[in-house]
Amino acid sequence: MNLDLTAEELSFREEASTWLHTNLPTEARPPEGDEMRAFDLSWQRTLFDGGWAGINWPTEYGGRGLTDIQQMIWYEEFAKANPPFTLNNSCTFVGNLHGGPTIIVNGNEEQRSTYLPQILRGEAVWCQGFSEPGSGSDLASLSTKAEIDGDCLVVTGQKTWTSYAHVADVQELLVRTDPTAPKHKGITWVVCDMKSPGIEIREIRTMSHVTDFCEVFYDEVRIPMSNIVGGLNNGWRTAMSTLGFERGTAFMADQVELAATVERLIEEARVRLGPDGKRPAIKDEELARRLSLARAEVAALRAMTITGISRNARSETPGPEGSIVRLFHGELHQRVYQLALDIIGADALRLTEVDGEGVWTGPYLQSFAYTIGGGTSDIQRNIVGERVLGLPRA
Amino acid sequence: MDLLPTEEQDEIITTVRSQLERNFDLHALAQLDGASSVVDSSLWKQCAELGWFGLGLPEALGGVGYTLAEEALLFAEIGSHAAPGPFLATVLAGRVAALLGESELSAQILAGEQLVALAEPHGDSDAVAGANVSGTFRVTDFGGADLVLVLVGTSASIVAATDLVAEPMASLDRLVPTAIGTVSQIPAICFQDDASAVQLRATVLIAAELAGIATATAEQSTQYAKDRVQFGTPVGSFQAVKHRCADMAVLADAANSLVRYAAIAVLDGLPDAAFHAHAARVVATRAAIENSQINVQNHGGIGFTLEHTAHRFVTRAQVRSRTVGDLRSHLGGLLEQPAAL
Repeated sequence: MNLDLTAEELSFREEASTWLHTNLPTEARPPEGDEMRAFDLSWQRTLFDGGWAGINWPTEYGGRGLTDIQQMIWYEEFAKANPPFTLNNSCTFVGNLHGGPTIIVNGNEEQRSTYLPQILRGEAVWCQGFSEPGSGSDLASLSTKAEIDGDCLVVTGQKTWTSYAHVADVQELLVRTDPTAPKHKGITWVVCDMKSPGIEIREIRTMSHVTDFCEVFYDEVRIPMSNIVGGLNNGWRTAMSTLGFERGTAFMADQVELAATVERLIEEARVRLGPDGKRPAIKDEELARRLSLARAEVAALRAMTITGISRNARSETPGPEGSIVRLFHGELHQRVYQLALDIIGADALRLTEVDGEGVWTGPYLQSFAYTIGGGTSDIQRNIVGERVLGLPRA
Repeated sequence: MDLLPTEEQDEIITTVRSQLERNFDLHALAQLDGASSVVDSSLWKQCAELGWFGLGLPEALGGVGYTLAEEALLFAEIGSHAAPGPFLATVLAGRVAALLGESELSAQILAGEQLVALAEPHGDSDAVAGANVSGTFRVTDFGGADLVLVLVGTSASIVAATDLVAEPMASLDRLVPTAIGTVSQIPAICFQDDASAVQLRATVLIAAELAGIATATAEQSTQYAKDRVQFGTPVGSFQAVKHRCADMAVLADAANSLVRYAAIAVLDGLPDAAFHAHAARVVATRAAIENSQINVQNHGGIGFTLEHTAHRFVTRAQVRSRTVGDLRSHLGGLLEQPAAL
């Protein structure tokens, strides 16, 4: 148990802070479409050129081979630098934190040398094709089918809740390759080229009015067998390692940013008039109590994140304990934005963007995603109950 | 940065656990319910020999030479086992005496030869500690005590127990004997005017004890959910129960992680140490109270009995969360502290 940063970590922090100071974009992120894609990829390229892409990726795959602690330090410095956008609100999210790490662990050499550099250099946008209209929490029941035809899989079916499909180049896709096998045994994880003939993308508007959300239809889409990652019919295992990352370290940036959000909210409460119309909001006993609690809880979140990093440092891949942090984070994130609406008074009636400076109602609407995406809170509770605590399945 | 115990710390935890399991069995201790003292003096000396009371005190001051980090791990185990006794008063008084150069007194406390009770103001905002102690105090573990550690704000005094008259009350926690007494101008054997470091240490150690309660109750519920069969299946297979167990594990992880962080922040003298100590106390208090309460519910009828240990954690959480401040007072200063980031 220690909170010491090594000399290397300290100089890393210094280096990150200095670099961010001169290289962080000052303009807001375009909220949608090709402009958004161009902005996100250009920022990824800037990160790559500055040596900040794939901080905790192995060096042989173009990363810096640094520790999760250094990755966390980077997020903290980013949050401190007053960025005009939040880190994970980017179409590079899936590649950097999901597809990329999965290829590192489960891919073959050719797949690694093809995909990983593209992700790091900001040359490819990845999206995720896991959920289906009939397969949400019960992901393993997925029915998008893939038949082998020569050296290709021929895919027909539908995926949904696919963020950034409309601007993506490739997709991590789960398909059913053996309909006769038990449901977990007939699934394959494959990289799908989003420009393939037979793919149709429809946008879905979310309750926060964001347009990045899509459903994807596949009509006899041909995908080379060489795009299979982790082996034919072994996709569930591959997917689980992906979800391990998602539940483990992928949300570290959000967790760090939430601490900065609470500090901004405290500032808002100091300058805004409180519910009595006389004193600042922070002088209101109930609001002050909730703010204090939020501040204590984000400190707990940070400590839990460090505990998680410590656990991961002792094992190869993130374990199911990541769901503990994910659960706490998702619900705390929502409480913070619920509190924000109570602090900003009548401004709670005005709709804002979901990302940017001094916005609260957009992120409030967006916060509902935090207990649904990547496995609902109920699924996370099942994972904690069954895989961490060892309780029996129903 | 690492928030998991080292191998050496794990060994300390193992030793502490085996002593607590062997000699602090809650079913056996039940015979002391309502007694004026819950300390068995030979057992207390055994704990002393294991080095518990001077665990975080430097060797030069007569301690074992570990730190607040190991002390916090010890108190988490004390909480996990709902072990009764004046552990906090003993550790703090031994330290205060040693720091004030009262090495003989300190040695007696650390050896378990002098028993120490803890006094805090009881609804008396005029109470004072220092060279002289006055006011109305709530004294825990008063029966059989030789000394009383008096904590008032950031002042600490050690007084002779014989100088104090206090009337036992029916205590909520049957194993935390509590008495109320009013005193005027009792001379201190020794005192610290600025005992803010002691107060901060107490904050972390109580937070650790509360985190231990949160852990133990999460584990107790999980075990029961595996063992108890209804409708032909362990009740832990039902989501209503399983999800409550998961939520308990989340709260316990939050409390333990933050307590460990706070212990090291205080130990290292970090600028945000006080913030983290109070935050840990807040998070651990809520976790201990929530988990201990839901633990009774998870056990159904058996959880409501006196024979079962579930209620021990409920009352211990309530009592400890009101020792050296309460939820309100620890929440109170949090907005004034510098930002953690």
